[in-house]
Amino acid sequence: MKWRRTIRVIHRDTGYIVALLTIIYAISGIAVNHINDWNPNYIVEKHVVTIKPLSDTLLTKEEAVNYVLSQLQIVDSVKNSFRPTPEIVDIFFEGKTISANIKVGEAAIEVINDRYVFKESNFLHLNTPKKLWTWIADLFAVALVLLAITGIFMNKGKHGLKGRGKWFVALGIVIPIIFLFLYY
Amino acid sequence: MNKIISIFLYTFILLVSLQAEDTKKYGEDIALTEKTKISDIVKSPQDFVGEKVLVEGTVVNVCAKRGCWIELASDKEFESIRVKVQDGVIVFPMEAKGKKALVEGEVYSFEYEVEAECSGSGCKENEEKHEDCEHHKKETKTIYQIRGIGAEI
Repeated sequence: MKWRRTIRVIHRDTGYIVALLTIIYAISGIAVNHINDWNPNYIVEKHVVTIKPLSDTLLTKEEAVNYVLSQLQIVDSVKNSFRPTPEIVDIFFEGKTISANIKVGEAAIEVINDRYVFKESNFLHLNTPKKLWTWIADLFAVALVLLAITGIFMNKGKHGLKGRGKWFVALGIVIPIIFLFLYY
Repeated sequence: MNKIISIFLYTFILLVSLQAEDTKKYGEDIALTEKTKISDIVKSPQDFVGEKVLVEGTVVNVCAKRGCWIELASDKEFESIRVKVQDGVIVFPMEAKGKKALVEGEVYSFEYEVEAECSGSGCKENEEKHEDCEHHKKETKTIYQIRGIGAEI
């Protein structure tokens, strides 16, 4: 039938267009699905080093910062600093934060690196850019619906919906329903 | 040929969207012009509950996994305030740490129960035996935060 040929063309060409975006969304989907187990956007490395403790916590913030920097022999340019308590000073660098307890003599160094590919995928998948991307993402969603519908009716005969296809479609319907009964 | 055009168009749109973050604006546009000192809010937060404020401060902490909150340093030492945003609506990047932020939002409060420290006779013995101390009392703490609606970092 002619209409079946048309939906095959629609399915094929839509598939070409959305192939990369489907992979991007799939990668991000897996990444954010496990957000409780890992950070999908950043690789955060933390380690603690010891510095000489100071009993004098009456230092000014600048003095405390300079003391920590000299103890750690760091020459990187400081972006900013913050003192949450008299004993603790947080020093911010590009991609790095040092949180030092000058009284205890401990400095926690946190280095943040982007988790490449995942970060960019999450950026698009979670629609962080908003603006024009919202429309692209909507179009993508429509394209996925189109792919699903055309996919169902693409083949005829024993491989089509009337053949084995109906069982696969039924399976696809039953799976979410089971989980809705279990968890909803 | 059509396929090549499709791929080209798709790549172009993708690149344009990736560039969109350069504005460094988050959420809605900032409407307020008059800034409120964070130290004023920290000093008497109950006076600000329900009020829209515009605050400025250094970002000293960011929600690492979801980017759903930032902590702003006060203009006074040893003080800070948390700005909570709706999950997914605004996502603060971890690179914001150490940068100056201008945030508009509404001050709100919420309460939560914490277990007060064990006090009174017999408590130590019970704790050592891992038994519940009958003197344990629930304490209610009030937390004040800003519900962020727009930010510039």
